[in-house]
Amino acid sequence: METIVEAVELKKTYLLGKVPVNALDGVNLKVDSGDFLAILGPSGSGKSTLLNLIGALDKPTGGKLMIEGTDISTLNDNQLTDLRRRVGFVFQFFNLIPRFTARQNVELSMSIADVGKSERIKRANSLLETVGLKDRMEHKPAELSGGEQQRVAIARALANDPKFLLMDEPTGNIDSKTAMEIMGLIKGLNEGNGVTVIMVTHDQRLASQSKKTVMMLDGSIVQETVN
Amino acid sequence: MRARDVLSYSFSAIKLRKLRAGLTTLGVVIGIAAIVALLSISQGLQSTITAQLERGFATDTLIVTAGGGGGFGMGGGLGGGGDSGFQLLVSDTQTINGLPNVDSSVAIMQRVVNNVSVGGTNKTGTVTGVDFAGYLDIYGDTFKASNGTIPIPPANDSIVVGKQVVDPRLNGTTIAGVNDPIGFTWINATARPPTTITFSGHISAVLNEIGSFGVGGPSDSGVYVPISQAQILFETNECDMIIVKLKSSDQAVIDNASSAIKNAFSGEVSVISATAVLGIISSIFSVIELFLGGIAAISLVVAGIGIMNIMIVSLMERTREIGILKALGTKSRTVLLIFLSEAVIIGVIGGAIGIGLGWVLANVVAIVFRGGGAFAGNQAAVNGGMTITPILTPTVFLGAMAFGIGVSVIFALYPAWRASKLKPVDALRYE
Repeated sequence: METIVEAVELKKTYLLGKVPVNALDGVNLKVDSGDFLAILGPSGSGKSTLLNLIGALDKPTGGKLMIEGTDISTLNDNQLTDLRRRVGFVFQFFNLIPRFTARQNVELSMSIADVGKSERIKRANSLLETVGLKDRMEHKPAELSGGEQQRVAIARALANDPKFLLMDEPTGNIDSKTAMEIMGLIKGLNEGNGVTVIMVTHDQRLASQSKKTVMMLDGSIVQETVN
Repeated sequence: MRARDVLSYSFSAIKLRKLRAGLTTLGVVIGIAAIVALLSISQGLQSTITAQLERGFATDTLIVTAGGGGGFGMGGGLGGGGDSGFQLLVSDTQTINGLPNVDSSVAIMQRVVNNVSVGGTNKTGTVTGVDFAGYLDIYGDTFKASNGTIPIPPANDSIVVGKQVVDPRLNGTTIAGVNDPIGFTWINATARPPTTITFSGHISAVLNEIGSFGVGGPSDSGVYVPISQAQILFETNECDMIIVKLKSSDQAVIDNASSAIKNAFSGEVSVISATAVLGIISSIFSVIELFLGGIAAISLVVAGIGIMNIMIVSLMERTREIGILKALGTKSRTVLLIFLSEAVIIGVIGGAIGIGLGWVLANVVAIVFRGGGAFAGNQAAVNGGMTITPILTPTVFLGAMAFGIGVSVIFALYPAWRASKLKPVDALRYE
């Protein structure tokens, strides 16, 4: 199997005021194509920082992070931007554009990647159908429930055919029943469509749905479990 | 992101904040409207004055007045500072006629008189003494009778009048006509004791409506008596000016004739050509336009600061949105373009409305000016209602548009640059 993400002694240090904080303190991790990895840990353990680095939203301060064989610390801003287009990000707070309809939100990530209008509409329609929002395409986020908004966000993340999906607490803002449905959708994408998923959560129950779980504490991986 | 997608994204952002964007646009509208209105009125005024002057003062004519100083004043005629005591005489036309490049010349004597009595009315007016034949030769287009005929040679009591003398409101209601009596009283204030001279004659001809004022040329309120009579009446052989018609309007001919005339009178006369006067008017208007445009530009700069303000506020509100765009793979350059194109949209809409509004405003001002403020000067060369037709030149049109967009973009540069420099992680975390 192809290795998509490989972290070697990965470090990220923030300055909190004048005090340096080691958010990541030498993380070693390997994610292969087709994996479904859950990163588990309490808040402040560095799991979101790790996800942001993998999603090329931030740059590491030490160690190596290889995405598809390229060390991202060697990339400039434009190259990082290109990389982001090949990553599907799903956030805890959905992060949809409020003035756009569900379909326009899905279209947006394709329009950023220079996809033509007719192709965008076609693909947005089929993706929204996949996530079960066939009848809600023309609704704006405010007219959708939390679960529906997260489905739109997942459709948006899948729009540019990403190498992997990065999910930061994707069900953290949704009631537990809907959360299970979303998990079902994600599992389906992973098993049925072969989408690689890296998910951050602090919910043990959700983590157990994944193929592999790593446990983080104080910026390091302390435990690795294959489910 | 494709250019069209950038534009439609920016447009959707503007649409979301209609009131705010509308008020910002209004700032640009007012600035542009002020520029367009002021400049098109000023250009219209310049063109009116120039056109009237060209009609009343042909480019192949020169005006000779006494005084080497070369003073030039509109309205009261042309007058130099004749300190040296030099007098320009009616007979000096003979000297001028003998010079090369000169076709003909005519002496003009003007006096402000009390009590021009015609058709039972009495008012102050200007009486011009002129050789009818010579005047006709130079001002054939305007010294033209609509009623009666200009008598050549004239009888001693022949008087030619401008249209407004017999039709004061220029609306067809005449108070007198051809062969009706006309008279005036002139007080010779230089005689000791001052004498009062009364003249009675009859109207030989009424001129066509001229509608313009000219330097030395006929006017609608003019009362013209034969020069020989004027010399007797006004008890002098000194004339106010001599109009010289040249054989061509070439600049070289104008220059040569001007210096020849000056030399013939040992530099004691001033010679003014139409091109020189037009040059002076044009340069005066350039300064006026620069001044007016500058004032209007200040309001546009204020509008620009408004744009900057709204953009910075919008930047704060949309920090998270910028984070989303960046997380989805939008290049910094594209974020910059999105913000700049919002400014361009505001500039284009504001500019277009502003130009339209400015044009309407200029026309309203022109109409008000036409209706209420006709210069009804009855003693100076300026007379008749002056009609201003605002002129919107392509330069003003395009310049105003470019200026509107330019100001919008320049003031948006800083907020747009700040937006493009946001780090995705920080922007996404922004509450």
